[in-house]
Amino acid sequence: MLRRPSHRQRDELRALASRQAAVAEIGRRALASDDLDDILRAAVETARSELRTDYASVLELTSDGRSLHVRATAGFPDDMLGGVLRADAEELSRIALDRDEPLSIGDFTEEPDFVPSAVQRELGVTSALVAPIGISGRHFGVLGVYAREPRPYEAEDVNFIRALASTIGLAAERSHHESRVRDSEARFRELADTTPALMWMTDPDAHVTFVNEGWLRFTGRTLGEELGDTFGLSAHPDDRTELLSRWRDAFRRREELRFEYRLMHAPTGAYRWVLEVATPRFADGVFAGYVGTTTDIHERRSMEEALRESEAGFRDLADSAPVMIWTTDTRGLVTFVNEGWMRFTGTTLAEELGSSWALGVHPEDVEQMLASWHESLDGLEIWEYEYRLMSHTGEYRWVVDRGVPRYEGGSFVGYVGAAVDIHERILMQQQLREVYEIEHTIAETLQRSLLPERLPEIEGLRLVPRYLPAGEAIGGDWYDALERMDGRVALIVGDVVGHGLRAAATMGQLRNAFRAYGLIESSPAEVMARVNRLVMSGEDAMATVLYIVLDRETGEVTYSAAGHPPPLVLAPDGAHFLEGGRSMPIGAADPAVFREATGVVPPGSTLLLYTDGLVERRGVPLEDSLERLAEAAGEAEDDLEKLCERVLGAVLPRRDPSDDVALLAVRLSAVSGRALRLSLPAEPESLALLRRRLERFLHAAGADELESYEIMLTVCEAAGNAIEHAYGPGDASFDVEAALVADELIASVRDSGQWRDRRGEHRGRGIKIIMGLMDDVSIESQNGGTLVTMRRRLAHARAA
Amino acid sequence: MTAPVEIAVERHGGTLVAHVTGEVDMTNAGHVRDQVLDSVPNDALGLVIDLTECRYLDSAGIEVIFDLARRLRRRRQELRVVVPHGSPLTRVLELTEVATAAPIHETVDSALAG
Repeated sequence: MLRRPSHRQRDELRALASRQAAVAEIGRRALASDDLDDILRAAVETARSELRTDYASVLELTSDGRSLHVRATAGFPDDMLGGVLRADAEELSRIALDRDEPLSIGDFTEEPDFVPSAVQRELGVTSALVAPIGISGRHFGVLGVYAREPRPYEAEDVNFIRALASTIGLAAERSHHESRVRDSEARFRELADTTPALMWMTDPDAHVTFVNEGWLRFTGRTLGEELGDTFGLSAHPDDRTELLSRWRDAFRRREELRFEYRLMHAPTGAYRWVLEVATPRFADGVFAGYVGTTTDIHERRSMEEALRESEAGFRDLADSAPVMIWTTDTRGLVTFVNEGWMRFTGTTLAEELGSSWALGVHPEDVEQMLASWHESLDGLEIWEYEYRLMSHTGEYRWVVDRGVPRYEGGSFVGYVGAAVDIHERILMQQQLREVYEIEHTIAETLQRSLLPERLPEIEGLRLVPRYLPAGEAIGGDWYDALERMDGRVALIVGDVVGHGLRAAATMGQLRNAFRAYGLIESSPAEVMARVNRLVMSGEDAMATVLYIVLDRETGEVTYSAAGHPPPLVLAPDGAHFLEGGRSMPIGAADPAVFREATGVVPPGSTLLLYTDGLVERRGVPLEDSLERLAEAAGEAEDDLEKLCERVLGAVLPRRDPSDDVALLAVRLSAVSGRALRLSLPAEPESLALLRRRLERFLHAAGADELESYEIMLTVCEAAGNAIEHAYGPGDASFDVEAALVADELIASVRDSGQWRDRRGEHRGRGIKIIMGLMDDVSIESQNGGTLVTMRRRLAHARAA
Repeated sequence: MTAPVEIAVERHGGTLVAHVTGEVDMTNAGHVRDQVLDSVPNDALGLVIDLTECRYLDSAGIEVIFDLARRLRRRRQELRVVVPHGSPLTRVLELTEVATAAPIHETVDSALAG
């Protein structure tokens, strides 16, 4: 059926595209800029101009929820900006927040239940549309547009303001997180430079990118000498080989490294024992290198060595050492602590003997620490534990305590131990962890908000999506489905190259771009070309995308695969891939040629769209993976959810993909020529959908072109009556049923209103058509509604 | 969703021909009528509505034809309708007696000649 859009529809499409572009632009700003006020200003200007209203504003909820802070305005008097309004006086905003959904008033004078606020009255506001920003429980505020004229706000207007509000919500959340990240980064740097500990960082290639003041003082080298491929350079020659091999090992596995070795101490010109603790760090979900802390443990090591030689020598050494030393008897009771220990705790020797030293341990740590200590004691093993110990100032400080069993003449005589203050190191690690967690949370939130929460209900199709993230990393995979004006459906899966915040943000932009161009352009290759141009003109980004346009009536597909693996068709006669339309990835070159190909997906079959992560295995040729996928999916399965589970189970048995995976299963319902049952909203816009459904059904029932047209027209005439007579606005609906009984087609339309007396010729024409085109028509009133039943014999009814 | 329709108007001497492509139902009938009326100047001799590419026309669309005929008659302009032979619309136009308001032709040429 030929359906070319009219001028008005083109205008509507243009308006829709313009609004989508506007939302995408605000989204782009939200990702590019960290100036929230700037973003809000742009958003209210956009809302006001796209919805053609007089005023627009963003009101931010204050933390007590009682007031609204005017954060951005458009059209309002200048002095409103920055003001504070009482939340209970802004009735519309408050209700929108309470209900957590947009709210519109077409005309305040006709809605006695809603009172405009004082400001609104003063400015002559007659109609308004407001939407909450953020999610319930964590609302940021309200976005609203206000007009002096009464006007109805359409569903598209509501959708637009909702999209704009959710974009603002994202920006607000990002801004909030970023200020926290900035704060904690600043705290981290300050800490790094004031700490007495030694600190360093590397990039993902193991090149040193940062060492702190403490490190430079220790090694006596300059920053310039330390940066680059310098790891282990100042280590004792006897320790260096092992240090490097352990380091390479840990680095390869992204594991923590703990190693004791001797490091050149420049001020004394001697090597000192240090403990290196190096932890991998992940910025934004991606490995970013290592951060290391180096602790001087020379005294502890010397103690252990000295003790091996003589007890007396040990005590002398111990008391002059700047670390905290202790010894125990064979039962684990403390027999000695050195000066250093008592200086730290501010206690006397008598107070520390026996088992009373544990009194100074932080209540949250003491139980596990003692358990670990007794376990080591039982096995006469080396004991090491990090815990918080109360210092003489009353502050708990982190120490690492290590005890070694000692023997005299081959028999166990007790432990000797040393504790080192590692408070700064621990704090630093916590700060780092916090920084990474925040980054991760932002990326995750962003991705969640960008993936469709659920796909639209599309008549004649069943859609089941799956998304598996790759561990901690945030990916850039997405899926989408949308119904075009010409009745065809666009199906999209894509995979943005890279991980983390940037990939998630790019994914959001691409998803929007495909939605916008997908509505306007009918050719997949042209959609690809347009998105490619958009990507090439902007930031550095690349993505593989599969874009399919599907005709539900004929099963014809037109598709283009930009660097993307081929979709799988599971047809009644077997499985095959749609291998045409191969093109370059989006963002690879400009100009680029995008190819498209056509194919047929018969009714009742299933299309599997997926991203790379499902089929790409290191060392396995892609052909083998595809074959395996086809095999796994190939067995007949009625339930789509089960099919997805089975495919994932067979191809990714451990469910821990190294790359994220998006899977979209699409089933074309086999059209039944036996019966059709539909319930539609009682509004004129339902008629186009009803026609499409009836056409499919009548075709399957064996009606020829003329029969099909005339029956479709008749049923729609009856439906048109039901729509015109439906009660008020609101949720009225009507039901349509059609069935083939032997060679007779029986269709009925049931509504909840009364057919009025037909006034004028127009009404008479509708009933003339109904009566004239059907063999038999009955109209009954029942249960406060009307039931119209129509019958017509088909010349070549298809036997069911 | 309003039904998709496109109207293209061309002039043949003193007569205008409006080609209606797509679907006409209660969601867009008013729009179709206004657009056609706007394109007919007062000095035109008549108007031909060409439904050759019209794939769907319900009673709201029929009403548009009657309405146009009425309005043009007042301006002493004549309305003709073109529906090709074998069109699924034929029977509907018969049932609603459109011919009583506007003569029906099978081609644009015949409508312009007649």
